[in-house]
Amino acid sequence: MISNRILVASPLVLALALVMEPRPARATPPDAAAVKRGSRAYGRYCVSCHGVAGDGRGPSADWVDPRPRDFTGGTYKFRSTPASELPTDGDILRTLERGLNHTSMPHWRGVTRRELREAVQYLKSLSPRFAEEQQGTPLPVPPRPAFTPELVAKGKEVWGKVQCAGCHGDGGKGNGSSAQTLRDEWGYPILPRDFTSGPLKVGSAPEDLYLAFMAGLTGSPMPSFAESISPEEAWALVAYVRSLRKD
Amino acid sequence: MSVRLRAAGILITLIVASRAEAIPAFARKYGMSCTACHVAWPVLNPQGLSFRDNGYQLGLMKDDPSSAPAAYVPFSARTVPTYQFTRTTNQPGAWGSTETRTGGIGAPAVDVLAAGTFAPDLSYLVVLAGFTPDEAGSVESAWARIANIGGGGWVNLRVGKFEPEQPVSERRGILRTAGHAVYSARFDGSQVGFDLASNHVGLELDGHDARSETHYSIALLHANGGHGSRGPWSQPVVHAHATRAFEIDSAALPWLRIGALGTIGWWPTRFTTSDGTTIVEGTGRDFRKYSRVGAEVSGIFGHASTPFFWTAVAMHGQEQGSAPDVDPGLATRKSSFDGGFLEVNWVPVSAVAYNATPWVLFARYDVVRYDSGPGDFDGLSAGLRRHMALGPRASLAVHAEVHADRTRGTGFQPAGGEVQVQTALLGFDVCF
Repeated sequence: MISNRILVASPLVLALALVMEPRPARATPPDAAAVKRGSRAYGRYCVSCHGVAGDGRGPSADWVDPRPRDFTGGTYKFRSTPASELPTDGDILRTLERGLNHTSMPHWRGVTRRELREAVQYLKSLSPRFAEEQQGTPLPVPPRPAFTPELVAKGKEVWGKVQCAGCHGDGGKGNGSSAQTLRDEWGYPILPRDFTSGPLKVGSAPEDLYLAFMAGLTGSPMPSFAESISPEEAWALVAYVRSLRKD
Repeated sequence: MSVRLRAAGILITLIVASRAEAIPAFARKYGMSCTACHVAWPVLNPQGLSFRDNGYQLGLMKDDPSSAPAAYVPFSARTVPTYQFTRTTNQPGAWGSTETRTGGIGAPAVDVLAAGTFAPDLSYLVVLAGFTPDEAGSVESAWARIANIGGGGWVNLRVGKFEPEQPVSERRGILRTAGHAVYSARFDGSQVGFDLASNHVGLELDGHDARSETHYSIALLHANGGHGSRGPWSQPVVHAHATRAFEIDSAALPWLRIGALGTIGWWPTRFTTSDGTTIVEGTGRDFRKYSRVGAEVSGIFGHASTPFFWTAVAMHGQEQGSAPDVDPGLATRKSSFDGGFLEVNWVPVSAVAYNATPWVLFARYDVVRYDSGPGDFDGLSAGLRRHMALGPRASLAVHAEVHADRTRGTGFQPAGGEVQVQTALLGFDVCF
């Protein structure tokens, strides 16, 4: 009899527990109406690379290098938020508007901003994380200092401290000892950036580089150094990396 | 002869106007579907216009041929096998006016396109159009372009044979039974052979902002056809076109563009002959001045990813009369025309699928009115496409279209005979 009561009560207790479980305070699930509208833009512009399910396995996926992003895990490389946190809507929108250098992700300058904003909501709907977790808060970016020779020299020390050369090589050409062994979160080979020429994927502004160091590039072997270097050291590293450019 | 040359000219335009420029090689190069750059191919959307204006470059270090996938080959081909039935009234017959009816599957022509970049900011396009079992085809386009001269997009230079910038591209039209009548309008008896719908040889300066919302082009062209003149630039034409697009944060009308065009040209009308009738090329003189001015409005109704894309164009054309002492066999009166068109392309559905936009509905109404004489024209075309495949490699559509027009005063009957043409077309449009 008691066991019957327990059996009857258990689902109620479980349901109550689920209801009472504290949810993340500021989860910002995508707006349902915008998701529906955004699906039109996704179908027209994105699906051939990123796939119907958003898993990066569209019919073009095998033809483009690097491979298209898998949106289902909510993993975004180019963010203003701390490592492991979800990007802001603005982060995703920025990638759509500006594209990613050295990839097949174009800038969608001809697409209306309204479509892009709706597409962001649709992209968020492809991962359950956006319904469950709080989107990150952008990392503060201190004002850019003057890139003096002294700052460059300090940056070289930071370069050694966080062992950038292991992947990027002594001269920053992307030819470090482990360069050929690197793989991304999905198991695909990935090469470190050659800092001596061309823009970064996300852009060429010093602030882009600063955020790459402090936020990391989630999904790639590039970690966040937010816990190991100070903002001043991060700017010094920016100054040093920019000094490596030969073009 | 009561059957006028202009009627024949319009019919030729209707039937053989080539529609070549949709370039799946770009889709293969970048991995994108055709729908990324086309409202419905070959009609470009604002993203496609931006890509075109930027010299077939996305500007992300992946444009150079050396960085493209090894499997990428910058060639595309298009063929459109169709059944077409045409009824034409008031044609000359042995016993007077007669009606003709023709139908069948013509030998499908094949267009071969090569386009891309040689190097950063150096782009090209070659279109060899109209290959059939009986025809050798022709060079429809062949040009090279230097983009971003001095940085930015405001100065670009193109040289070769190309389509003059038009409110709606004649070469990128989705309609297959009719060209834009106002582009080819000429008054009855005109000595001027200029056709805005044709590609011409020349050079063009153009520019645009980062999103191609503002765009201009100024071209100095050799007009096609004719016999040339003695001058250093035979049959010269100056053509200018400018547009300004506005993005509006509106669900009903998210995008609007206005524009204007102007053309002025000089066409030689008298020539030296070798035996009294055979014209010696390059001896033209007594230039006849002609001009075109026009205004346009384009817009998108509804969601921009499922656009109801429309364009309204009004044009005025004028041709100078000749002096009284000129050969009386030449037309001497000044003549003008007014005309335009309203064109719509509607993509009602965009789904999260590899064939994302399976349906396209389209229509156009053309009108031309002359200040005097015969030739006033009204035409209506409409149709739909069902894409069976629309991916990043190739496309195939079932295309159905009907067309009806009437041209006043050009039929067999001397007293204002009206020629009516009705056409129905059903076939495939294949682009690889």
